[in-house]
Amino acid sequence: MSDFFQFLISGIAVGSIYALAALGFVLIYKSSRVINFAHGQLIAIGAFIAYALAAWLKLPIALALLAAVLATGLLGFVVERVFLKRLVGQPIISVIMVTIGLASVLDGLMYLTPFGSGNFSYPAFLPQEPLRLAGITVSYPQLLAVGFTALFLLLFGWFFQRSTLGISMRAVADDQMASMSVGVSVEKVFALAWAVAGVTAASAGMVVGTVSGLNQDSLIAIGLAVFPAVILGGLDSIPGAVVGGITIGVLQNLAAGYLNRFVPGGGTELVIPFVVLLVVLWFRPHGLFGTEEIERV
Amino acid sequence: MRNPWAQTGNYRTSYEQDTTIFATYREIASVVALLVALLVLPQLLERSQVLTLNFILIYAIAVLGLNITTGYAGLISVGQAAFMGVGAYTVALTAPYLPFYLTIPLGAAVAAAFGAIVGIPSLRVKHLYLALATLAFQEIFVWTVGRMPALAQGASIPVEMRNFLGYEIGFRNHNHFWYYVILFTLVLMVIAWRNLLRGKYGRALVAVRDNDRAADAMGMDPGRTKLMAFALGALYAGVAGGLLAYFQRSVVIEEFTLAKSVGFLAMAIVGGLGTVVGSLLGPAFIEYLQLSMERFSEWIKGSQAIQQIIPPGVDVASALLPLSFGLVIVLFLMFEPRGLYNWWRLVRSYFRTWPFKY
Amino acid sequence: MKRSMLLVGLTLLSLAQAQKTVSLVHSGAITGPTSDVGGPYAAAIEDYCKYANEQKLIPGYTLNCIVRDDQYQNPNAQRFLEEALDRAKPAVYLGYATGAMLALKSLIQEVKLVAIPASAHIGLIDPPDNTYVFLPTSSYSEQVVALLEHIAREKKGAKVALVVHPSAFGRAPIEDARKAAAQLGLSIVDVQENGGSLDNTALLRNLEQKGAEYIVHQNVAGPVANILKDAKRLGLDKKIKQLGAIYTGGNDLIRLAGDAAEGYLWASSYYTLEEDTPGMRLHRELAAKNNRGVLGQSHNYTAGLLAAAIAVEAMKRAAQRFGRIDNATFYDALVGMNGPNAFNPGFVVKTANSPEIDFTKSEQTGGEGLRVLEVKGGKFVPITQPFTSTLFRKVHYGK
Repeated sequence: MSDFFQFLISGIAVGSIYALAALGFVLIYKSSRVINFAHGQLIAIGAFIAYALAAWLKLPIALALLAAVLATGLLGFVVERVFLKRLVGQPIISVIMVTIGLASVLDGLMYLTPFGSGNFSYPAFLPQEPLRLAGITVSYPQLLAVGFTALFLLLFGWFFQRSTLGISMRAVADDQMASMSVGVSVEKVFALAWAVAGVTAASAGMVVGTVSGLNQDSLIAIGLAVFPAVILGGLDSIPGAVVGGITIGVLQNLAAGYLNRFVPGGGTELVIPFVVLLVVLWFRPHGLFGTEEIERV
Repeated sequence: MRNPWAQTGNYRTSYEQDTTIFATYREIASVVALLVALLVLPQLLERSQVLTLNFILIYAIAVLGLNITTGYAGLISVGQAAFMGVGAYTVALTAPYLPFYLTIPLGAAVAAAFGAIVGIPSLRVKHLYLALATLAFQEIFVWTVGRMPALAQGASIPVEMRNFLGYEIGFRNHNHFWYYVILFTLVLMVIAWRNLLRGKYGRALVAVRDNDRAADAMGMDPGRTKLMAFALGALYAGVAGGLLAYFQRSVVIEEFTLAKSVGFLAMAIVGGLGTVVGSLLGPAFIEYLQLSMERFSEWIKGSQAIQQIIPPGVDVASALLPLSFGLVIVLFLMFEPRGLYNWWRLVRSYFRTWPFKY
Repeated sequence: MKRSMLLVGLTLLSLAQAQKTVSLVHSGAITGPTSDVGGPYAAAIEDYCKYANEQKLIPGYTLNCIVRDDQYQNPNAQRFLEEALDRAKPAVYLGYATGAMLALKSLIQEVKLVAIPASAHIGLIDPPDNTYVFLPTSSYSEQVVALLEHIAREKKGAKVALVVHPSAFGRAPIEDARKAAAQLGLSIVDVQENGGSLDNTALLRNLEQKGAEYIVHQNVAGPVANILKDAKRLGLDKKIKQLGAIYTGGNDLIRLAGDAAEGYLWASSYYTLEEDTPGMRLHRELAAKNNRGVLGQSHNYTAGLLAAAIAVEAMKRAAQRFGRIDNATFYDALVGMNGPNAFNPGFVVKTANSPEIDFTKSEQTGGEGLRVLEVKGGKFVPITQPFTSTLFRKVHYGK
């Protein structure tokens, strides 16, 4: 039984990373209906900026993390301004393809730095010894993941309920035309969504970096793991992203714990998220919390 | 239809005329000329250049299929490579027992069946969600092949064909032989594509893409239409996969990954969605872009002067390929969303009235 | 036009100097997946080629090195090989990825071109179509069997789990490992695939429950580092000992796993960077001279140097023995590299009774010696004498 709780806790920790990555992804979709295939690249770039600042410029780690988060937010903003702004009104497939192209461009930019190949890890800044409680162990990087996710969830909750900007973002998500007519700047909202997505992506990247080291391929792969999470939670729901992310994380750990012994070679944790994705699409395409679209001719 | 050789505008007055394959004799003549050129071309090239052509033509078949799913029906598919894989593995398993002209259609049929299964959510959901269904299929496919000893768990399965009706095929003529087989198949697939889409079914696809509720009201079944689009797209991928298996002499899982699927989408976009010309130009452009970038990065590597400017640790040569690939996609979408096909159209319409201005 | 003029110019120039050109072609993943291995490997080949030309290692010949980035994609690898066959007529092909090499085997056989891959998948030198493929050092299977022998020496009847990469590369040694374990009296309690998870709690707990005392990895450094860190977190680092084949170890593992790497055992054929052998001196010299930085500290740089060195040595011998270098003479020179003619460049450890690198027509593995190294104080330190797996040939070939 203690195994079960250990799997659960580890799953929640991993799921928090997915949730963190998914938050920004959902935010972009919610405001502009764009599925961002370059999310993994934002995650990687955020993580590498933090590394460069901490290891090369020898900034204190907290400062490096903060600066990296802001820089990646700025990158998200610039990406929206330069590439996506011009595509407002184009068919959605074009916009999605642009993010695929962007992913490749950002990959190329990473190859211009030493990070394109090779493995790196942050200078140790968290206690090495794990926390032990009732036979369950949690490492500090895992706590960091959960902490970051909770923090962003609270911030977002406040932002969307209380701040004018947040409310205008919700308005745009609801009805672009109507919000434009009451004077909400749709452009500003789109750019902001990308900036915030950059911020959460960078946080996710840094957590992955502390948990498992920095490698371009594995950081980008997190961008792919986001898809099952957001579909499960509902593409346009922020609480859904968190619930979806954590559920996928837990399912992966439970699959690894209980399913792998029945499959020769194991590895079911790699495929379970996508099976979930397919099943959700078959039976409940709008996910747990997503809004069902009502369309008129 | 005054002078069928020098038509200066669109004189179509009936549905029958609108659904003809060729509008003018000049079009027929240019297609014939193109075919003759394609038939002669490999005789003038080195083996390795024919190899590149073969890849382009195989990818063109896959992109044609994608142009049904994505171009006509508007369903983004990031699983085209997996469907290709289905075709290729079917060929790998049946090649020892059957000739290639049976195994490839068989692979296509199996791929189409998979396409229909993956397309099931299309009965309920729309565009974006379907993209994710294909993504899931893509990942599940690669994972499953890795667990199947019958498919060598993704390692190489040799597909050898050394003899065709007494004609010996070896290193010397392998590429050329398959070039003609692939070209022949491509022509067949293009004819099928045109015939399929110029009629009722093609119009149904477009209607469903543009507004599925309206299409529904007009008596088309959007769900079935989309399902068909998926199956057909996968069928083309299956044919491409089968050809690839014979041409590469083996089937390896690395050929059928997500990156390849994304590459096909890029080719379709760059070429121009929903067009035959685009399906040929897109793969050719992307492949030759890669070749010229390789040249360029080798030149950078070889040039002492440039190497001295670049700070150590920076690998410009390696970065060029992904950078150029991504930029091409982004720039095309931003400035020429109709793709290379549009350039082709402009050139053609210029020459249609040449030497008169209009 | 310019290019052809350049070519004509170059040809005239080379005629004037009475120097003939011989080509070596390498296609590897300088970017893309596994580029952390492919980068240093390709850099080493380039550097060794330069060195060979400076030192005029091949009498009467200039070495033309074609190093290309296939991004781990088979069509690219295939195209590079065929382009080279059309144009440069290389004497040897230095390949890379398991998948691409397996796919190209039949072509290589047909054109009778010697191929020396970076992948040490045993399927490459097993029939069919295996005549012209040669591995510089022992295969993955042999490394894993050697590790099992090491475990059997340490603890009789131990319970061992295998954790492998989810690819042909990872799965290569499983079958031989099972057979070897049966012979050694070890029990394989589980085989799991792992391509890098953010959390390996479940994997480790399951292996613990099955009583695994050792985990043998056939993987790349990233996933192994994660498993090591999680084992430490779960307090299993004292209970389960972890070991791995060539691509699991090296500086990358230490960089990624930090303290958690302590005590990890690694089977490597290569000398470490600190050791004083002619090969490792050359490694340090070339890496410094070409400003290779981190790339030059990798054992994959040594591996690249070795592959290039074997190729150049065989070219040299072909030139000396036959007066010309082509596919056939290269092959003859390479398979003649044994007995008193074995090759001793000082990259690979050698055992008391066998030379460093030797090939025959039927023995397509170069350096069979390997050592087990342990991470001590953030560094891999050899803990065994060089040895050769005694069991591998018995379980794999049945002899």
